[in-house]
Amino acid sequence: MVEVFAVASGKGGTGKTTTTMALGMALADEYDVTVIDADTGMANVLFHAGLADVETTLHEVLAGQAPVDDAVYRRFGMNVVPCGTSLSGFREAEPERLRGVVATLAERTDVILLDSPATLSSRAAVLPIVLADRIVVVLQPTIPSLSDGLKVQEYATTYGTDVAGILFNRVTEDEAIDEIARKAERYFEGPTLATVVESETVRAARRASKPLLAHAPTSPPAAAYREAAETLVVRSHRAESVADRFRSAVIPDEP
Amino acid sequence: MKLPQGWLRRRRVVTDLATPLSSALERELTGYARLESQDALLLDADGVGVLTFERGVPVLAYHTGTDRGGPDALADLAVAGPYRIELYELEDGSLADVHGDSPLRIEPGTPAERLAGDADLARRTREQAPPEWVGAGSQPTRELKAVEQFLDDEDRIASIREAARREAASRADDWGFDVE
Repeated sequence: MVEVFAVASGKGGTGKTTTTMALGMALADEYDVTVIDADTGMANVLFHAGLADVETTLHEVLAGQAPVDDAVYRRFGMNVVPCGTSLSGFREAEPERLRGVVATLAERTDVILLDSPATLSSRAAVLPIVLADRIVVVLQPTIPSLSDGLKVQEYATTYGTDVAGILFNRVTEDEAIDEIARKAERYFEGPTLATVVESETVRAARRASKPLLAHAPTSPPAAAYREAAETLVVRSHRAESVADRFRSAVIPDEP
Repeated sequence: MKLPQGWLRRRRVVTDLATPLSSALERELTGYARLESQDALLLDADGVGVLTFERGVPVLAYHTGTDRGGPDALADLAVAGPYRIELYELEDGSLADVHGDSPLRIEPGTPAERLAGDADLARRTREQAPPEWVGAGSQPTRELKAVEQFLDDEDRIASIREAARREAASRADDWGFDVE
């Protein structure tokens, strides 16, 4: 029984990976959670999870050089599948294989979180959104971030993926954010899950190579992410139907 | 707004306008940028946006499609990319007459904030600008007001969403994705 979420934003720098790891840890209190770094061109999860030195990553799996299990690491109460940082690893990886990876892991976990690329410019970049049941749109209260977030939402819904909600991140003016969130909600097909304030604590967690909820579990941003996770009501889908959906949703490149 | 032709220094397609803005700032460009949304489905794609620079700092903004200038032109340009951008260089001082007391004037940091969402670039731009150009009042408060205005513009947002839906549907064919 599984639900697949893509954590997405049209723009970089919104804190997608921080959000993915934080939601993952918060959901792990109740569910078996698997986090996959689906941003194969810009690996980030490994730095947030203290996995910078591991040998086998999703790159090797996507290149057909390792089984999925070799790239799954148990960290912070979650299963974490990081990407590597080498250019050659990225070049050899076949994004299309992500579908099989998600289908395999879907059979043995409750929640899959896909840390997605900050672009819609290629098929590989959009694939995580297509594979997900729902997306979480990470926004900053700026015009470019909101317009890119709307674009991500429209791509998702066009391809049959629902919107679980929006999350305002790196917020500095918390007084006006409520009004902006209220206005933004009119256009997004999901509620505001949380607003997370810009904080030195978040940067310190990143420097310590730990997820925020492990580094500063009682900090205000950590509390906001917990609130977001509580607002997300996980819907279970049968793993077999997930695998079937992947097959029907994506026509393979191979002849 | 009549501008001299200038020398073309850079032409590229970008998804993030922080790149050309920071390039203009670093090379202390005096000249102008011509910005064209690549999203032909957007209503405003008929026109191009023009931003002038003096020593790397944005001074005027104008949009030929909507015939609006100043902060309004930035709002017209603030759509999802990619953009085709051309940077033209002019001789120092050659824009003094154009700039003058132009009603098209913008506060130096606003393009970085509204077109790129890059607060750090906005701060660096304001540091490089003559102090009298930098607006009074709290920048974050003013920016949040601009965001609220953006969210109040239902037609603009509807056109962004509609364009994205059409783009996603047309690319579904190329990419082999099913469309709901």
